[in-house]
Parts: sequence; structure tokens; C-alpha cells
Amino acid sequence: MKKYLSAIVLVLSVLFPVWAAEAAVDAKGAEQFVKDVTEDGIENIINANISQKEKDARFEKLFNNALDLKFIGQFVLGRYWRTSTPEERNEFIEAYRKLNIQTWSKRFDEFKGRNFIFEGTTPSNSANQVFVNSEVPMEQGAPAKVVWRVKQNGDSYKIVDIIIENVSLAITARNEYSAYIKKAPGGVRDLIKDLQSKTK
Amino acid sequence: MFKKFLLTLAAVIVFSTGNSYAGASYHEAYQEEDSWLESYNRAVFSFNNGFNHYVLMPVSRAYRAVTNQFFRNRVNGIINNLEEPLYAGNYLLQGEFSQSGVALSRFVINSTLGLFGMFDVAGGWGLENQPTSFDDTFATWCIPDGPFFMLPFLGPSTPRATAALALDFTADPVYWAVYQDSNVNSKISYTYTGIKAIAVMERNMDFLNDLEKNSVDFYSTMKSAYLQNRKNKGCFRNADENPAVSYDFDFDMEEEEEDIADELLVQPLGEKRSSRPQLLVLP
Repeated sequence: MKKYLSAIVLVLSVLFPVWAAEAAVDAKGAEQFVKDVTEDGIENIINANISQKEKDARFEKLFNNALDLKFIGQFVLGRYWRTSTPEERNEFIEAYRKLNIQTWSKRFDEFKGRNFIFEGTTPSNSANQVFVNSEVPMEQGAPAKVVWRVKQNGDSYKIVDIIIENVSLAITARNEYSAYIKKAPGGVRDLIKDLQSKTK
Repeated sequence: MFKKFLLTLAAVIVFSTGNSYAGASYHEAYQEEDSWLESYNRAVFSFNNGFNHYVLMPVSRAYRAVTNQFFRNRVNGIINNLEEPLYAGNYLLQGEFSQSGVALSRFVINSTLGLFGMFDVAGGWGLENQPTSFDDTFATWCIPDGPFFMLPFLGPSTPRATAALALDFTADPVYWAVYQDSNVNSKISYTYTGIKAIAVMERNMDFLNDLEKNSVDFYSTMKSAYLQNRKNKGCFRNADENPAVSYDFDFDMEEEEEDIADELLVQPLGEKRSSRPQLLVLP
């Protein structure tokens, strides 16, 4: 039965790719998930009256829970994922995770006094994924456009990319790291070492 | 002068017809460069980076030290207000008449009630600031972007962006208003350009420094972000297509694109294309 169902889904997805992708995801649920994550971040981290150390710890926890870093890491490493050993993959993901936490926990405070205005979702070509659209009003000038790429797995949701003003963080990192690995004599190993040195 | 400008534009449009990148996926956003172009770009990039670190950023830090946020916001407001006529003109060229009216109204209201743009009175009335440029206009006219290259001092660019920048520069009201007396003109325009560069750097330098610190290849990061940001503009945004197309990615495409024999190592993630189990578990 399951086999037939997959076949039907496959046929339908060829005929109606967008529809199929959309149908596979609970877009409302995904949007609510991003809303909850941002509210949690704003209330319990940015606006909370706690030490910076505690803020960093809470941010790391939120980051780990909200993002699917294995998925992101695999995409970011691109073709080099395949040629890497399991140890390299894990080390890469850990280095990438630490670097992002370091980068974003510092930048996160700049959201003080701001909030996200959610503006519905857009389907993705990848199944079980959806884009949640939002805007951040700025002090001066036009609001910043922030899009969250959310992947659904059963009842749970994870963020797999954040797109700020059309710039995808995952694609940027992928472009950067492929360019780096191509030039580096030690390939992925060099990249991991370099990423690790940035968070020491 | 204006006639010549129109003729140039017409020529550009004629030469560019038939080229459409509409609906391109993100794969095309990051261009692979010829090695000579990349060497040139990286050399100019590191020169610009040095200039920013040793000249523009110290000056911007000094500017930040002697002013407060309130003052800087007023300066940013004045600079933005002076660009409003440019926005209005470009929206007109794009056929966005109501947006053009908004920009023009903003200019009139903020120049007067807003004290030369120091305060965004019009914004409070719902006339929102929506910057545009000749580059957006060119994109609306379906002029393709061309290869990525670095401009000394000015930063990342493409042929379309460079042409647009030259027009933005010459069409800037500050240069027109003082066009009569060339001596005064050059002094004012140099000063204005300098202030603008410092104000822009002051707003962006923390972010840039942070980005550089966390990059292993800063040039590639900047290039990627610059090109992604420019995609999906004007005519290259296909109305029927998913607006997310420029940043949508799919593991299946990777497989086809790279044509690697050991594809079984990484299986596609999409359920819709395959009934194989998802492989996201790290070994």
C-alpha cells in the first residue's frame, strides 16, 4: 500500500510539482514554529534581564533546537560531503555550528526593540520544506526582508536556511567553502582547521 | 545631453534583447570565473579592503566618535532625501507611476516639513521609503547583468551595475544643481561624495568586520552575497514562478549537476521525487 502511495505521490509531483511540495508541508505549522522561535529569542534572550554569559547559553540552546545543522552542513559542504570521512563530516558540522553561534549570538542583540512581521509562506521545490516570509521594520529606511526555510519531519519543524534580503546564508557558505576547498591543499581538513581556529 | 542618453539606452536595449535569465536557479547566481578575471578581482578586492581598513573605516570611526546616533540619523535622512528625485525618475522609467509619485511626494514633504530630509515626515504618513536605482530600471528592461568584477574603491560590480552606477552618479541632483560653476561644483560634489561614503561605511562597518572575521574566504562570501542579492530583479523575476526560486535549493539537482557516480552515498532528500528513505542520519 505504501509503495502505491509513493508512486501516486511521485506521479502527482511530476504533474504538479509546486502543489505536491506544498501539500507535503503544513505551512501554517511551519510559520507558527518560526513565530515561536523568534518570540522565544526576543523575550527570553534579547529582552531578558540576564548576564551575557546566560544569554549566550540560552542562544546556543535555541540555535541547536531550532536548526537542523546536519542538513545544513551537508548542503553547505556540497560535493565535498561525499568525499569526506564520517569524522570529517562531524567535525565540520561542529565547527560550523560553533562559528555560527559565535557570529549570531553577538548580532542577535541588534534586534533589540525590533520585531518580526510575518507575511505568510511560499512553497519550495523540495518536498517537506516551505519558506516562511517575514519583515523586520528598521529604524530608518525600508524594512529588511527575512525568509526562513523550514523543513518538516512529522510533527517537528527545523530551520534549514535563513535568507536575508535575498541572500541565503546556506548558499553563501556553500559558495565560500567550495571556493576555499578548491584552493586549499588539504581540502576539507584545512577548512575544518580554519573554522575551528575562528572559534578558539 | 538627454537625447544622447536616450540613444545610448536604446542601443543597450537593442543589443540585449533576446537575452533572458528569467527563472534561473541559484546555481547560476554564483559565477565561476576565468582565472585571469578571478586574479584581477581578488587583487582589486584586497586593495579595496586595505583602503577600507586603513582609510575609510578609521575616518568613519572618528565620525562615529564625534557624533551621536540622533545626529547620524539626520545626516542619513538628508542624503536619502537628496536621492528621492532619482528614485522618482527611475520609477517613472520602470513604469511604476504610483511609486514615482510616492518618491516625489516624499521629496517635497520631507524637504519642507521634514527640514531638508532630516525627519521622515512622509514616512509617518504612510509614504514609505522605497529606494530604487538605474540598475533596477535596467533590470526592468531585461538588460542582463553580465560577469562579476571588482571596481577599485567602489566594490563589487557587473557591467550593468557599472553602467547604472555611472548614471546614478551623473543624475544625482547634487551634481545637477551646482552644474553651473565648475569650481564650486567639484568642491561640493567631492565633499558630498566623501560624506556619503563615510556615512555608508559607518552604518555597515561593524557588519563587514564581523563578516570578514568569520569568513575563510571573504572575497567569495562577498561575491556570493552580492550576486544573490541582485538576482530576481525586474524582468528576471518571472511572475508565474515561485518568488523563492533564486534561493530555493534541492539536493536532487546537485546529483544531476555534478553527475557523480557514487551518488548512493548521499540520497536525495525529497520524498516527492523518490520513495527512498531520507538519509539525513550521519554515519
